[in-house]
Amino acid sequence: MQMFEQYSLHASYDEMFHKDGTVRAHWQDIYAHIERAGVDTLAAKQSEIEWHMEDNGVTYNVYNNPDGNNNRPWTLDPIPFVMTQEEWREVKRGIKQRAKLLNLVLRDLYGEQKLLKENIIPSEVIFGHKGFSPEVFNFGLKENFNLYFYALDMARGPDGKMWVINDRTQAPSGLGYAVENRLTMNMIAKELYPNVEAKKLSLFVEEFKKLLKKLTHGDTSKAALLTPGPHNETYFEHAYLSSFLEINLVQGDDLLAKNGSLWLKSLSGLKPINTLLRRVDDRFCDPLELRSDSRLGVSGLVDTLRQGHLAMINPIGSAIVENAGLNPFMSRICHYFLDEELILPQIATWWCGQKQELAYVLEHLEGLIVKKIDRTEVMKTYIAKHLSAEELAHLRDKLCANPDQYVAQEEISFSKTPCYDNGKIEPRNAVIRAYSVKNDTGYSVMNGGLVRLSVSTDALLVSSQKGGKSKDLWILGTDNKIDTNAIFKTLPYLDLSIKHMPTLKAENLFWLGRYLARSIATTRLIRYIIKKMIHAHRYESTSSKEVQLILHKALTHFTMTYPGFLDTKEDETLKIEPLQEIASLVRDTFRQGSLSFTISMLGSANIAVKSLLAIESWKLFDKMQKEWHTFIYKNSYSSQTLLHELDKELIYLMAYKELVEESMVSDQGLVLYSIGFKIESALLLISKARSLLCLKLEKSSTYDILEAILGSCESFNAYRTQYKSSLALENVVEFLLLNPHFPKSLTYIADELLQAFKTLPKAKKYLSSYEEAIFKAHAKLRLSHLSTLMEIEEESSVYHVLDTFLSELSELFAHASIEFSKTYFSHYDE
Amino acid sequence: MIYDIYHKTTFEYEGMVTFSHNIARLKPRENRFQKILDFSMEILPSVYEEHSFTDMFGNSNSHLLIRKPHRALSVIGRSRVEIFPHLLDAHNERMKQNSMPYEKALSLLESFDLYDLMAKKYWFESELICKGSRAIEAYVRQSFHSKRDLFEACAEFMQRIFNDFEFVPGFSDVTTPIEEIFDAKKGVCQDFTHFAIASLRTIGLPAKYISGYIETIPKEGEEKLFGVDASHAWFALYIPRVGWVGFDPTNNLIPTSQHIFLGQGRDYDDITPLKGVVMSSGKSELQISVDVRRVSL
Repeated sequence: MQMFEQYSLHASYDEMFHKDGTVRAHWQDIYAHIERAGVDTLAAKQSEIEWHMEDNGVTYNVYNNPDGNNNRPWTLDPIPFVMTQEEWREVKRGIKQRAKLLNLVLRDLYGEQKLLKENIIPSEVIFGHKGFSPEVFNFGLKENFNLYFYALDMARGPDGKMWVINDRTQAPSGLGYAVENRLTMNMIAKELYPNVEAKKLSLFVEEFKKLLKKLTHGDTSKAALLTPGPHNETYFEHAYLSSFLEINLVQGDDLLAKNGSLWLKSLSGLKPINTLLRRVDDRFCDPLELRSDSRLGVSGLVDTLRQGHLAMINPIGSAIVENAGLNPFMSRICHYFLDEELILPQIATWWCGQKQELAYVLEHLEGLIVKKIDRTEVMKTYIAKHLSAEELAHLRDKLCANPDQYVAQEEISFSKTPCYDNGKIEPRNAVIRAYSVKNDTGYSVMNGGLVRLSVSTDALLVSSQKGGKSKDLWILGTDNKIDTNAIFKTLPYLDLSIKHMPTLKAENLFWLGRYLARSIATTRLIRYIIKKMIHAHRYESTSSKEVQLILHKALTHFTMTYPGFLDTKEDETLKIEPLQEIASLVRDTFRQGSLSFTISMLGSANIAVKSLLAIESWKLFDKMQKEWHTFIYKNSYSSQTLLHELDKELIYLMAYKELVEESMVSDQGLVLYSIGFKIESALLLISKARSLLCLKLEKSSTYDILEAILGSCESFNAYRTQYKSSLALENVVEFLLLNPHFPKSLTYIADELLQAFKTLPKAKKYLSSYEEAIFKAHAKLRLSHLSTLMEIEEESSVYHVLDTFLSELSELFAHASIEFSKTYFSHYDE
Repeated sequence: MIYDIYHKTTFEYEGMVTFSHNIARLKPRENRFQKILDFSMEILPSVYEEHSFTDMFGNSNSHLLIRKPHRALSVIGRSRVEIFPHLLDAHNERMKQNSMPYEKALSLLESFDLYDLMAKKYWFESELICKGSRAIEAYVRQSFHSKRDLFEACAEFMQRIFNDFEFVPGFSDVTTPIEEIFDAKKGVCQDFTHFAIASLRTIGLPAKYISGYIETIPKEGEEKLFGVDASHAWFALYIPRVGWVGFDPTNNLIPTSQHIFLGQGRDYDDITPLKGVVMSSGKSELQISVDVRRVSL
């Protein structure tokens, strides 16, 4: 007994060991394997687990946070939680019974309310509970109003039985993590625990799919998972679940309600949705009828339920049965509905809304745990023995002021289970979350679950938010049916084609292209300008002052950060210090148009399309953002550090661009990104051309300016190769605007846009409005003559013809963008 | 007694709105004391889709989907309502006769009773109404002693609100916490109603929010202008095993002949006359115009 030498056996019940220190029969294999493996192997397996988790992106949750460090790695213990088939059979029976019962309660409370009318439960426990939703009153009479998906938390009491701790009914979380835990364990189990067989999870996933199939009447494309979005802490899980259940992953803005039904906005139009697996809490699902400040729901959703055109997993209102106040009455309810005894024991619970119970609780408070009956606020659990005299008095006051809002529970010491922690094995408290789904006759329970551990040996409470570890639950034994893991083999399910892509995602792809083009072009221009400033000092060039002024003004136009460098006094001297203004244009995230602002917009778009991108691109973006934030929050800067950071940023952006373009094919939506990228590039090129190519300057200045526009487009060498001559304005105008073969020229971009439009879902035989604009622009470019464009009146210092030409082109590209958005992203005419 | 009611609500938006879901609750309820002779609703721009339903509190709701591009939405409810003041008088008299000491009411509420069950929805904190502070509790308890008759106590409580609070429009909105109303001792009918309900619930009594209209009578010799009335609010107290009785703290009277009942709820949120969610940026502005006219005795 080496590995477990230090292992303390003080717990009231240890999962692995009997009181006398001998190993329980069902743990003997695992125990022997751990002993044989030794600490080093266990440590190696732990890091292997961590590597898998990170590689699968489980650790990458939210990363568009200015502080950077919001990722909380999900951790999994290499030692499973083991249970025998025999025990599990009984526990399963209990879970099925409880699920069935809570479904009956839910339907009754929003239906006939017999439980209230016949005084089985006091109305205070319902009407005083914040989870009661009057909006769905009478919906319990509808056929598709059911507790379809039910989870509960349980732990082993001192008597060796599994006790129910919590019910989870609104939007039970953790199933995705449980599946991911199992897949990860599979990778280490063959070596670490050879010959130990655990029941598979895939049968449960099949059951879940069956339910979706039934609710959608066979067409699961009408089902969607409603997520609060990428900023939610369990977004990983939402993406993961939708992928192995093969349903759409949507946010509230992806949906709309009309004709009493719910519709998914997709690029090819509105698609009906009749089943919603939701991860948004009850009160946030509909800003019209529920919480009006919610941005996560769909307005009109409750009405689609009312019209009977939507099944929700689980229905709005389900929060009412996440209700600790029901516990004291569960046995009565069980007799009332099923005429049976409760199978799973519950913690002794006193509801304080009754006089006698309240008196008992107040008298014995020191030994009890007190909670609110609902969990809509930040859930608070008061462990009375840990409270100071003052806090106790305060708690007593609360209990007396609103007794029916509270329950007290006896404090139970739950079992401990071995957990690997930094080279040793320690006992930890464990809570198991088990899952069930409704089938035709009752409920199916998953043969496994998510086990969460307390942070330390002494800690009583388990919380994944505080960084406790998780475990995989193994039910020993083999499955009857032969089962391949086929369900999980199809790795991240991507939206099949652009036609079915949710509009919100499509729009974000378009903007990803626009912001990326803008970020790159802005970085390049600023970088070039700073370089020019440094060199000007060095060579004391005479033309430099004029050139710099032109470049600075071009930058203001380019970033649209007016007045900026246009803010001059009468004597043409600037009101602002150039480097200071440039630094602000680089670093000031709150200044619209600044590079930092553009990058943060790019960040939002990146998060929104995350599921379409390869994992490498998330990692790269994450790293880029962290470094960028470190830089912009530094107080000092010099032209050299700015230059250095811009160089680095540019490399990151270009690498990110490459990864984006490589990880998607056109039909998956890359075309939307490309259209965004091209329209933005065109607009920015026109802006630069208007600032830099329309001025008639002295020869020396002309040279510098032409060099600047080519340099900031990284096109200098290409120009040299093409013209084999020194810089001439006419040549540059032709090269950047009219050349049909140079990929960065305006003509080329317009041509590419026209090609791209043809592959879109709404492409028609005739020109669409956005197509028309680009078609005009393209024709204009092709039909123009260089000599006409360069006509200038003798006295004039501006090439007016060229300027007007460019201004018209700019309007056409901008118009195309607006029309394009209207056609694909607005849906208001459908 | 027959009244004609005109209730117009207009939302004006900063931007163009092309899609909006709304719920209108403009149709007065029917009960023993009032009958709806006629009701119609006029919506501009025209609706794409309309569903009507009755909510848990018994109010008529219309779910309206508007899909025509618009910058303003107006919904007009026109009702002709006949009220029966003598029946309401008789009801109130019966409530008064069967009222009971405050402490008895509390003990009855503690036990189960099928008749009381439906009133218990109005017994708890709601979205807009939290329980009151100790100061508020002390204030309400001045009227509610344990042996004191519930009806009397409530009538006195109503009168104290009427005397102690000043009617000042513009000081508050529906979300102003009752503590603030209590500290400033001013507000409008909605605030007084919310304050009274919070107070009653704080001392363990069910109380509900009533929204409706009140007839206003112009000064002698003056012509009544159209649309200058306002929608009104008052509260009802529940007397266990007996029933509900209304109190209007703004006017210090028990509603009979001048009040028209529109709807009820736990607070204003449950019976907002018109609410909507639009897909648009920018703010929206709300305008309300109400006219209440007695057309026959």
